[in-house]
Amino acid sequence: MPPRVTLRQVDTFKVQIGRVTRDLPIVPVSPDVKVALFNMLGDTDVTEEAGRELAQKLPADIDVLVTPEVKALSLAHVISRESGKPYIVIRKTQKPYMVDPVAREVVSITTGKPQLLVLDGFDVQKIRGRKVAIVDDVVSSGGTLHSIRQIIEEVGGEVAAVVAVFTEGQERPEVTALGHLPLFK
Amino acid sequence: MTTAPQELTVTIGDVSRTLPTVRAGGMGRVPLVEFIGDSEFTKAVAQEMVALIPAGTEVLLTVVTNALPLTHELSDRSGLPYVCARKKRRTYMQQPLIQDVPSMTLGVAETLWLDGPHAERLKGRRVTIVQDVVASGGTAQALARLVERAGGTVSGYLAAFRQGTPTLDVIALQDLPRTLS
Repeated sequence: MPPRVTLRQVDTFKVQIGRVTRDLPIVPVSPDVKVALFNMLGDTDVTEEAGRELAQKLPADIDVLVTPEVKALSLAHVISRESGKPYIVIRKTQKPYMVDPVAREVVSITTGKPQLLVLDGFDVQKIRGRKVAIVDDVVSSGGTLHSIRQIIEEVGGEVAAVVAVFTEGQERPEVTALGHLPLFK
Repeated sequence: MTTAPQELTVTIGDVSRTLPTVRAGGMGRVPLVEFIGDSEFTKAVAQEMVALIPAGTEVLLTVVTNALPLTHELSDRSGLPYVCARKKRRTYMQQPLIQDVPSMTLGVAETLWLDGPHAERLKGRRVTIVQDVVASGGTAQALARLVERAGGTVSGYLAAFRQGTPTLDVIALQDLPRTLS
């Protein structure tokens, strides 16, 4: 069942995720656009509910989950724990211990700045020739998604699913989500 | 004459992992504990750590990134909420608390950022600081400062592993050597 979404007052937006509801604050990200800010960091109940629901919606033939750090990290952990499928984290900075990292730049709606996405070369073998599900908290402009897809395809993986708690702005039929967030003016 | 590099295997519950290592200057190889990407190990460690949370703790405080899935599991098992400090400013942060770390992690100076509304959740609360590995204790000290500045009190320091001899009293499941030959 899709989450019920209703506008409660001007400055918050109510969402339902599994058995829990949250009032998301509506915050400006540019002079003309506001978003309902969904941050799972520190919200154990939402992470558990969303992770369990998304694990059930995950296609059975997926081999591995790939997620960008940081906000969707605990979500990927729960989906992995529930589904038994491993997960790989794409980092936002290159670490000194990475081996032959694969990097892409993306402009994020929540940071407004170019953002680096880096896959440790050590993780390439876990993606090559495998069916991959990308896990994210919110898919909005699709910029992050596009860059992650490029990295996965560059190393020989196949993106077979995209799962997220919410899509935002435009509808995205290719994304398996639990709900949709509008953009606000 | 060459000798085979030392390997370090840790066992928590019924899960064992051979730790990868990173070279640190002339100091040999530093063992790394990775929770991200390993939900099975994370779950096993959380299962044992939950009993070590100091009595009276009301909130857990951690910092990105490696300890995040671990802290989530501890939170889920204990029923205690957690708050997570970041290492970068995010545009949506409101009146964040900014705290420099008085030491370096793998040669990188760090600053911690705690979003204002998240700092509110520490106010008047007894807070346990949760980390994956505590070595010098510098990050733990910076997190403790954030707790005090937010108006909370530190109940204790809890880590999966202690590496070397930190300056703080850290409750940990196991000790790790600082370096391997």
